[in-house]
Amino acid sequence: MDQISTNQDDSSALSSLNDVQLDVMERKIATKYMQIVPWGAVVWGLGNCLMFIALFPLVLMDIMPLWIAFPIATLNCALAYLPSHEAQHNIIGGPGQRLRWLNECVGHISPIPLVLPYRILRATHMVHHQHCNDPELDPDYDVHARSNIDFFVQYLKNIQPDGGRNNAYGSCLERLGRTDLMLDSAVSEGIYLTVLLAMAWSGHAIEAALLWWLPKLIAGAHLQYYLSWAPHRPGREQGRYRDTRAFKSQLGNIFSAGMQYHIIHHLYPRIPLSLTPAAYRELKPILAQRGCELGNR
Amino acid sequence: MLLIKILLSPPVFAAGFLWPLTHEVILRMSLMPTGWQSWVVSAGIVLPFALMAHFRGSWIWIK
Repeated sequence: MDQISTNQDDSSALSSLNDVQLDVMERKIATKYMQIVPWGAVVWGLGNCLMFIALFPLVLMDIMPLWIAFPIATLNCALAYLPSHEAQHNIIGGPGQRLRWLNECVGHISPIPLVLPYRILRATHMVHHQHCNDPELDPDYDVHARSNIDFFVQYLKNIQPDGGRNNAYGSCLERLGRTDLMLDSAVSEGIYLTVLLAMAWSGHAIEAALLWWLPKLIAGAHLQYYLSWAPHRPGREQGRYRDTRAFKSQLGNIFSAGMQYHIIHHLYPRIPLSLTPAAYRELKPILAQRGCELGNR
Repeated sequence: MLLIKILLSPPVFAAGFLWPLTHEVILRMSLMPTGWQSWVVSAGIVLPFALMAHFRGSWIWIK
């Protein structure tokens, strides 16, 4: 079994293996990509948040024009989630490990532009992994839609005051018995609102809108499109090898936030985002044998 | 909890953020001179959205 190279598209050799043998082979390959600290994600998460915060004094002190700051702020918001996602899976440093403090630091700081509390993200994201595509239990299920247009209509509906998305994480925390975490949300929303209102009533409403309010809304759509909708569509199946997929993004791997290889993340969440393409290429023959949806990748 | 709900409610967001935002946009686009009239017009634009968000649960009607 060990002599079979997965780099060769030797489907006949793989088809002769039973599930247990495939499993051993799959895990052996995946293990190579784990236990690696993603320093790029650390710098990305902390630097991105720092840059986002710096935009406010730069614009308010007329050092940077607003028309330049707006796209940067939007980019900052769009880039804010993924480093925290690495931390949610303890990739930077697990409990009891030397870099645990850094893991938690990146986890908390990175998603600040999106006003998403780390502890809530972690708790609900673990449930998403456990119950992916389950209409009742997956907290990201209400992002599902039939087409691109349907997704954006659904996104607009979800962000309304009575939108389903507002209650999805709250309901999930109730099921987990972790309603105490809702306080994190109240605090972060309170700070966000205080900043917007203070800027608005001190004559900087347009700056507040273009530095935080609109970038957050735009990045929210991008985030949900590429992280929740695209990798899971059509979202009808459950199970380790069928609840997500690989896909070819017309806008490339970077614009799609590396989600073309999301199937690797669901199978092995401890593999850093930057290594999922390499892991995918090596695991692809096995995943094909498993009956995974691999799109055109 | 009730206080948090009120503070994070659509009417507070409308009055605290969208109203001065609309007022600033009106002035920046030179649609009206600054004064109490521009505040009233801004409120007139934002109020229907705030009422819709509060009573219907959607800023843009669809839900």
